[in-house]
Amino acid sequence: MLFNSLHFLLFFPIVTILFYLLKHKWRWILLFIASTYFYSAFYLPYILILYAIIIVDYFCGLLIEKRQGKVKLFWLLFSIISNIGLLTYFKYFNFFIDIFHVFVPQKLHHLDILLPIGLSFHTFQSLSYTIEVYKGNQKAEKHLGYFANYVLFFPQMVAGPIEKYSTLGKELRAKHKFKYKNISNGLRLILYGLFVKMCIADNLAPLVNEFYLNPTHYYSSSAWIALFAFSIQIYADFYGYSTIAIGAAAILGINLMDNFKQPYFASSFYQFWQKWHISLTTWFRNYVFFPLGGSYVNAFRWVFNILLVFSLSGFWHGANYTFIIWGFLHGLFYLLEKGLVKFYPETIKQNVVFKFLGANITFILVTLIWVFFRAENFDKAILVLNQCFTYGFDSSLNLKISFELISMLVIFFLIEIAIFNTRFDYFLKNSHVIFRWTGYIILIISLLLFSGIQSFQFIYFQF
Amino acid sequence: MKKLFYKLCILLPVFVFCLLTTNYFYVKYYYWSNAEAIDAKLLFTQDSLENCSDVLYYAESSNATAANTDTCLQSISQMIDSLSPLKVNAVDHGAIHARTFLQLIKNLKTDSKVKTIIVTLNSRSFGSPWINSHLETNIAQANVMYEPNLPIFKRIKLSFNGYDNKSIQLRDQDLEKDWSSVKLNVPESFPYKTVRQWDNAMANGTYLLPNGEWDMPKITLACHYIKTYAFPIDVNTNPRIQDFDEIVSISKQKNLKLIFHLLAENVQYADSLVGKELVNIMHQNKQLLIDRYHKDGVAVVNSFEIVNGLDFIDQDWTTEHYNQTGRLALAKNVLKYLQ
Repeated sequence: MLFNSLHFLLFFPIVTILFYLLKHKWRWILLFIASTYFYSAFYLPYILILYAIIIVDYFCGLLIEKRQGKVKLFWLLFSIISNIGLLTYFKYFNFFIDIFHVFVPQKLHHLDILLPIGLSFHTFQSLSYTIEVYKGNQKAEKHLGYFANYVLFFPQMVAGPIEKYSTLGKELRAKHKFKYKNISNGLRLILYGLFVKMCIADNLAPLVNEFYLNPTHYYSSSAWIALFAFSIQIYADFYGYSTIAIGAAAILGINLMDNFKQPYFASSFYQFWQKWHISLTTWFRNYVFFPLGGSYVNAFRWVFNILLVFSLSGFWHGANYTFIIWGFLHGLFYLLEKGLVKFYPETIKQNVVFKFLGANITFILVTLIWVFFRAENFDKAILVLNQCFTYGFDSSLNLKISFELISMLVIFFLIEIAIFNTRFDYFLKNSHVIFRWTGYIILIISLLLFSGIQSFQFIYFQF
Repeated sequence: MKKLFYKLCILLPVFVFCLLTTNYFYVKYYYWSNAEAIDAKLLFTQDSLENCSDVLYYAESSNATAANTDTCLQSISQMIDSLSPLKVNAVDHGAIHARTFLQLIKNLKTDSKVKTIIVTLNSRSFGSPWINSHLETNIAQANVMYEPNLPIFKRIKLSFNGYDNKSIQLRDQDLEKDWSSVKLNVPESFPYKTVRQWDNAMANGTYLLPNGEWDMPKITLACHYIKTYAFPIDVNTNPRIQDFDEIVSISKQKNLKLIFHLLAENVQYADSLVGKELVNIMHQNKQLLIDRYHKDGVAVVNSFEIVNGLDFIDQDWTTEHYNQTGRLALAKNVLKYLQ
């Protein structure tokens, strides 16, 4: 079920009303049923995969807590292999078959299966639980229902934020009373999330798709427009989803972590990764980078660790070389920046002009790197980049941007500046009533009149 | 809770007011461009024709597609128009089906000049390949635009995915499921009970062409005929049946004379490429449709086998595209029911 669907607009109020009508001890059952229904609306049979993840990690958690030494490690490995195995089978099998074909001529068939929506998110979230239990930071959950809700919790199950059990588990167990402020804050976030997804991302999507279909048909100016459009589209798409997820959870009294903090205003790659998809960055930092030795290793190993973690994070997004290159390039720029910044004195680093320049350079580089994320293959990515820097007359088309779309982008930009270092709901809560209501009306009218006429699935659902 | 209730009491009327105002601006500035953007142009077509036509002919591409060799490019509806004293106009668009016709007929004004409607009854459209077609999302989207609702509601429905917008992968999966699980109405002795079994047997040579030859292009086409025409129509679940049933009741409500035009299929090729089992299935489906709608008092023009195999434009595909001879035969057949 999509957040931007009539189905969800009907489903969510019913769940909310029932949630507050039920006694606390029964709510986990409601959330379990609601989450199962929510996921089943995408494709019913795949709910069994989620149930399998829940059962495996629930029992692994209990066994890891009870056992010691090698047996304990065995159950952790069992959990990791089960989760990564599922992920590999559904997501990476065909990719590995292609690699296999490079070395061995024998023909193996590709799997003709649908990738379960959000599989990478559930497996990573569930894995974080067993790893934390193994490390002794988390007690194993005895209640299967609460654990199931941790993996299944419908607002964040298909595209995060990837939460730790120590935070989401606690939130799910807490007794939530009906509070007006939760409802109003949640609704504000949902409204803004819908605006960002439907008015920004869904309006930019046709433009980007049109360009990527035949990049060589466009002038280089159009190529640049398409590149920046995708940069904003992917941000708006994922940020919009996360904002709705956080808003929906907030209405139920459950706090989810912020996944974005205006990443395109970041003045460096380092800052960008502190503001973009924060929950995934945190996951990779805690469960891959630190176990590899983190920063407490020699320089050569540190460089290797950084590049590996970024490449893996790219590979997490999709089974294609382009995603690995995307991750690797981020790692490379991160390292270059670290190397360069060392030579600047502290006074320059704090300078506003330096930060402004840094933000622009970072945004342009991030935008260029997104090409590898968006293009279907490496050749296409190179073709697109080539088109940006080709000033010939053999191309004939221009991308057209409507006045309405420009207006939406301006509103989005202004709101993002206004809520810099805060959140939309907090910002509105503290503003004057007239200003607040003007904001609501603008967003609602924009949604009614200017939301994308063609709906596009959230990009991150495919991961 | 009280605070929320009071707020809602104030907000709801404000919301309704905003909605109506927005609707006004939407219709004035964006409605038609939106309809054009999602290829829902029949909205204009019907609007412009219903006051200058006696008969409206609702059709997919069968109506207007002409062969390169045709000297007369008239569509079926134009041929009927020229042969009849009545003014006949077409509301047609490629790949659409009964769901679109239904929405458009709902939109017909009660004081419109139109007294008779002819709706193409395309038996192929009852099959799984058409029901699960990749074009279905776009058609479903356009159908929202054709619904007789307040324009702003249609806009909201479109923005919030209020239509069948399944992914292509899911549609393919549903199609494959039908092909491999739906039992065909074939004799007990016939070894292939599902489309998938029959298609595989044809493809790998177990089931030979009726003349016993091994001819790859013909086998490919035969497989295509099996996948397109071998299906039973379940009157309780088939979405097209539901749409046509609704067309019947809406027409009665609107006092319109309803004619279903059962389109010609290439039965000759089905027979020569696959054999009598497939032809039997095609006939069963045809008869089911004729009987069902005769019983409802609808005039069903049976053009199922009146077009010669060579008069189908697409010789290596299954379509209802006819050359001028075929179109004329169909037009004359319909004409009998108009007089």
